[in-house]
Amino acid sequence: MAAEATSVTALTVTNASVPGRIEGVSLSLAPGMLAGLVGPNGSGKSTLLQVAAGLLPATGSVSWLGRDIGDISVPERGRLAAWVPQEARFEFGFSVRSVVAQGRYARGDDDYGVDLALKQLDLVSLAHRPVNRLSGGEKQRVMIARALVTEAPLQLWDEPLAPLDPRHALEVLMHARRITRAGATMLISLHDLRAAYCLDFVVVLHQGRLCAAGPPEKVLTPELLMEVFGVRAKQLPGLTLELP
Amino acid sequence: MTPPWVHRVAFPVALLLLGVLALTSLAIGDMHLNPARIFSGLLHRDELAATILWNIRLPRMLISMMVGAALASSGLVMQAYFRNSLASPGLLGVTSGGAAGAVVMIGLGWASASIFVLPVAAIVGAMISTSVVIMLARRGASTERLLLAGVALNALLGAVTSYVLANFTLSYERNARILFWMLGGLEDRTWEHVMMASPIVVAGAMLWPLGRPMDLLSLGAREAQSLGVDIKRLRRSMLVLSTVLTALATAVAGTVGFVGLIVPHLLRLLVGPEHKRLVPLTLIGGAAFVLACDLIGRSAGGLRVGIVTSLIGGPFFLWLLRRQA
Repeated sequence: MAAEATSVTALTVTNASVPGRIEGVSLSLAPGMLAGLVGPNGSGKSTLLQVAAGLLPATGSVSWLGRDIGDISVPERGRLAAWVPQEARFEFGFSVRSVVAQGRYARGDDDYGVDLALKQLDLVSLAHRPVNRLSGGEKQRVMIARALVTEAPLQLWDEPLAPLDPRHALEVLMHARRITRAGATMLISLHDLRAAYCLDFVVVLHQGRLCAAGPPEKVLTPELLMEVFGVRAKQLPGLTLELP
Repeated sequence: MTPPWVHRVAFPVALLLLGVLALTSLAIGDMHLNPARIFSGLLHRDELAATILWNIRLPRMLISMMVGAALASSGLVMQAYFRNSLASPGLLGVTSGGAAGAVVMIGLGWASASIFVLPVAAIVGAMISTSVVIMLARRGASTERLLLAGVALNALLGAVTSYVLANFTLSYERNARILFWMLGGLEDRTWEHVMMASPIVVAGAMLWPLGRPMDLLSLGAREAQSLGVDIKRLRRSMLVLSTVLTALATAVAGTVGFVGLIVPHLLRLLVGPEHKRLVPLTLIGGAAFVLACDLIGRSAGGLRVGIVTSLIGGPFFLWLLRRQA
């Protein structure tokens, strides 16, 4: 991993520690990579994503597109990386459309791409509804739409699929694939290991430490699943969902 | 959601309402003045009207407007800061902090040394309250935590004020001034008080550009930061401005409660939560609300403005709590 960091990477985290949460985590993602972050509850996934997004102070270093984030101004950070929180809490009744449009704040609130993102996330009929009256899954789609309109080359999403129904979860994965093909780099945390198999790269966290990283078919072995999650895994030809 | 025409008419209607209330405030009193006499009085063509207007009613009207604008906008900023629509300077103890600062100065007999003593003491008192509330209830705090922090602080500062009132002062005149601060009022305000409150206009104007980042902050600090908002700087500006606004209002009019809760709430119901509209409307709406409360008080035989706002605000707050539950 350390050797990869010498070439131009989209996201590099070096020896990051947050006391009691993560310890000495290093990883680097190449541009255009769709990567997943898996691990049991409390393994440090949300912490690592926030450190990578520059939102949580940590020892070690983080760089985006080869630049240390300490050298990147706050507004520029808003243009370079988008972060989707695990759970959004809305106190005020902003309309869905206005929350999605906030994604353009760092680009002068130009409203570009807002209507398209509403359409992509199936939010057109909810566009004028107050965001604090939506269901958990609807709120999550609003946050994902807001991340998409930023057009940021780095996308860090914390459990975006958890509250979504199967159709919307598949659609979100498709959008993730679409934007990474267009050059963006993504790191998303997730619990659904079947979804992790659709990604290019998987990072496994266990008790705050990185314990494996690589292509999913190489990393997510029955032995590792036993060690990290304490579950026995068997590969079966099973139900595969496809969009109509 | 609010229909677009409401957005279009809200600002002109609010300005018109404020204008009508301001004119009424100049017109009514022991001697009623019609618009023609107000006009000639303001231009010193009618000496009796001029004396009444320039010495009594005009300073009172200006102070009502500034106090209302300051308290309402301070409430709006605190609600965005704490991401809680029940936060307001009165409930969080910031007003009591300002009042306690002023009362201690009066008790010590230092208030008459300079016109800056009271506002500075009020700002220091309010700043201490704000810091304590922030320590007790972190950002995004639950309503319960925030309100309990406010209850504790209000009780503590109330005790400080009562102590000063009971033990510190020996003169009737000082006690009367302290009581004035505790009850909140706009009587006998002079141009000196207008000068004392005038930085409110500057602080209010400084809120204008914070509207958009406040929208983002009110949906979460980390979220806002990830979208490119300089959260540290924004929060610092919000805290300083809201505390200074409350403190200056308290320094000239005492504790006038509930304005910071009622006005932003009603306006949010009317025009939605976006701060680019709410900031200017709250400044105007707060000014109109306190002017209206003062007019009600004056028409009801000289009821203090703080009593009128509390008589309206108390039931409103209970209604809000019931609505949230």
